[in-house]
Amino acid sequence: MSWRMWALKKSVWVFHVNLGACNNCDIEIVNLLTPRYDVERFGIKLVGSPRHADALLVTGVGTRQAIIRFRQVYSQTPKPCVVFLMGACACGTGIFHAGYHVEGPIDKILREMDPNAIIAYVPGCPPKPEAMISGVVKTLSAI
Amino acid sequence: MNQQELKDRLAEIKDKLIDIQQPLDDRIFLSCEAENAYAINKFLFEEVPLRFVITTGIDSDSCYEILYHYAYDQIGYIITLKAFIRDRENPSIESIAPFLPGAEWIEREIHDLLGIEFRNHPNMRRLILADDWPEGVYPLRKETRQ
Repeated sequence: MSWRMWALKKSVWVFHVNLGACNNCDIEIVNLLTPRYDVERFGIKLVGSPRHADALLVTGVGTRQAIIRFRQVYSQTPKPCVVFLMGACACGTGIFHAGYHVEGPIDKILREMDPNAIIAYVPGCPPKPEAMISGVVKTLSAI
Repeated sequence: MNQQELKDRLAEIKDKLIDIQQPLDDRIFLSCEAENAYAINKFLFEEVPLRFVITTGIDSDSCYEILYHYAYDQIGYIITLKAFIRDRENPSIESIAPFLPGAEWIEREIHDLLGIEFRNHPNMRRLILADDWPEGVYPLRKETRQ
């Protein structure tokens, strides 16, 4: 394990990116940070800029308008970083498959930008906060 | 105003309408040609008066339909005015936003998605399509397929 990976896993700071979600996954992510689940006790902290982040929490299908911003946000995030795709829309395209406003599955766009991107999928509509915590724990123990 | 008085008010514009239907007790459908829609909307909103709910647009087989939905809250009626736009090449209809500012955004949205021109609209800019979406492509039209 490189020292970069070791440092990444110590205390994951996350940046939340909404790429055209219906707000349902976003509400569950906010739920993670509030006292009931309080992931800050594990060192997972929401930050206000992708330049401070170790991980991106991506929700939404990836609309034509938003995907341009996602490319900028991903290129500004220090590498290595983990991209968590939260919810059915972000994992595939869900019910919006082949919609006129959909740019494509986010993982495909991410692989085109960076073939070595670390991508974790948390499916669900929306995923439960427990599932999100479990996804983060499994990903961090796998890398 | 009770049900009978409401029906009497609606009967005043009978000559501008194609027909009046009442499939349910509290649901009235009026239909008209696009040319008469502005005058009928002004009558419904200012004279009756009804509460404006929303406008919707449909790409029907032979024409475009603009549906203006109104509510009459005292007796719980929903009244829908259907305006038929027969010209499929250059569909256009008079905007109701000059006297009904609440209709401004929904008309911009219908213009984005169905490409219907709203004449005399005060602020016809793109509302919900992406910035790089090509001009002249309307995603909810039947001929637009991916």
